[in-house]
Amino acid sequence: MGGVLSSVFGSGEDAVATGTESEPSRLIKFSSSARWQLHYNETKESNKLLVVDFSASWCGPCRMIEPTIHAMADKFTDVDFVKLDVDELPDVAKEFNVTAMPTFVLVKRGKEVERIIGAKKDELERKVSKLRA
Amino acid sequence: MSVPGFEGFEKRLELRFFDDDNSITSNPMGLRLIDFESLDQVLNEVQCTVVSAVANRSFDAYVLSESSLFVYPTKIIIKTCGTTQLLKSIRPLIHLARNLGLTLRACRYSRGSFIFPKAQPFPYTSFKDEVLVVEESLPKSLCYRKASVMTPSNNPSRAWHVFTASADVESDEPVVVVEVCMTELDRVNARSFFKRKGDEKSNSDSAGKEMTRLSGIDNINANAFICDFAFDPCGYSMNGVDGDRYSTIHVTPEDGFSYGSFECGLSLYDDGHEDISEVLSRAIDVFRPSDVSIATTYGGEEYNHEVTKRVERVLAKKLGLKCRSRLMDVFPGSGTVVYQSFTPRRK
Repeated sequence: MGGVLSSVFGSGEDAVATGTESEPSRLIKFSSSARWQLHYNETKESNKLLVVDFSASWCGPCRMIEPTIHAMADKFTDVDFVKLDVDELPDVAKEFNVTAMPTFVLVKRGKEVERIIGAKKDELERKVSKLRA
Repeated sequence: MSVPGFEGFEKRLELRFFDDDNSITSNPMGLRLIDFESLDQVLNEVQCTVVSAVANRSFDAYVLSESSLFVYPTKIIIKTCGTTQLLKSIRPLIHLARNLGLTLRACRYSRGSFIFPKAQPFPYTSFKDEVLVVEESLPKSLCYRKASVMTPSNNPSRAWHVFTASADVESDEPVVVVEVCMTELDRVNARSFFKRKGDEKSNSDSAGKEMTRLSGIDNINANAFICDFAFDPCGYSMNGVDGDRYSTIHVTPEDGFSYGSFECGLSLYDDGHEDISEVLSRAIDVFRPSDVSIATTYGGEEYNHEVTKRVERVLAKKLGLKCRSRLMDVFPGSGTVVYQSFTPRRK
């Protein structure tokens, strides 16, 4: 699974599909600002909804909602789910004005259409459902 | 009333851990590294669950089905209402902390007086029994202990109960904690906290946001990010997050047993932050209660009597609330506790 992405992106370390060997997940994590920027620019070309999950390794509420995000990524296959760590990509977190975690930014064609701050799974699911069309 | 209504008055537990071990240098996030499944299990024992959560660089804030949980690197605060079994969390939390290399330094258990005391399960039917249970759960290293019931002469049924245990004589933290308990909320103001017809269960997040706005809670501290939640068919909770300062509000709006609480923690050496009396005045104004009690704990040796008097002046001037009773006590390892009771001035 990591191998498939390696061949697409070159080095396997900058963009990793999350999940496990037996349960691949559609949630993609970027640890490189450059790779993230490339991906982000690509999404501007399509009508696909992009959900960016800003989280941190030490954030309890982020860990709490993680299984829900994986499930949502698997359920909404027409939606792009990306995870960014605010410590790994502080410049991107700052660019998106992230001050509390988790923050979910919903983007379409490069424009922010919604933002959910906090581990609010009902609200996130509702808004993703609404905006994915 | 033959059937008791919901008990708004909370039980509050605070556990503080030593931060001068190697454990914190290697794991600066300390208690925040406790995995969620373990926390969830502890909350299960207490009989509550997480309904919303948010975090920042300083701490994690969870809104619970019955109040709130705050996790800092070396401090945990749990506040639960209803008929929850809060004291059952002590042993498992100490154990989880020990797994991360953290040793317990201090414990504080406090509460007001229940509106429906007979509806509480053991040991919450008697403060003496609660103290016994807490003491049994704590290690002997917390050798400075004190239990006290502060009873206002004008209203003996609204006493404040505190138990503290600490490894230090002096308080380890220069933090001021203010706990406001309000009853007999203004009926019109309380209406903000009932879900409107048509607001189905799935809208608890947006209904919460609406209540925050409608009630004016968003004006109490403009700097704080608010994580709110609306209960079915009524009731409201929020946690405020502002740097390392937490705040929390819980509302039981039903007439007959209406209750609102406001709590915040602030550092004593806080410049550039607003005067606490103004904040308290705005918070209490949301509810316009007929009965208010404020318990303020001054961690550290810096008890400032000016603050106490200023709060009384501001509440009298801005809200017409007269201070009927002021009690003070000192708790080793915890600091000075001031307990003030207010009722409206007769017009």
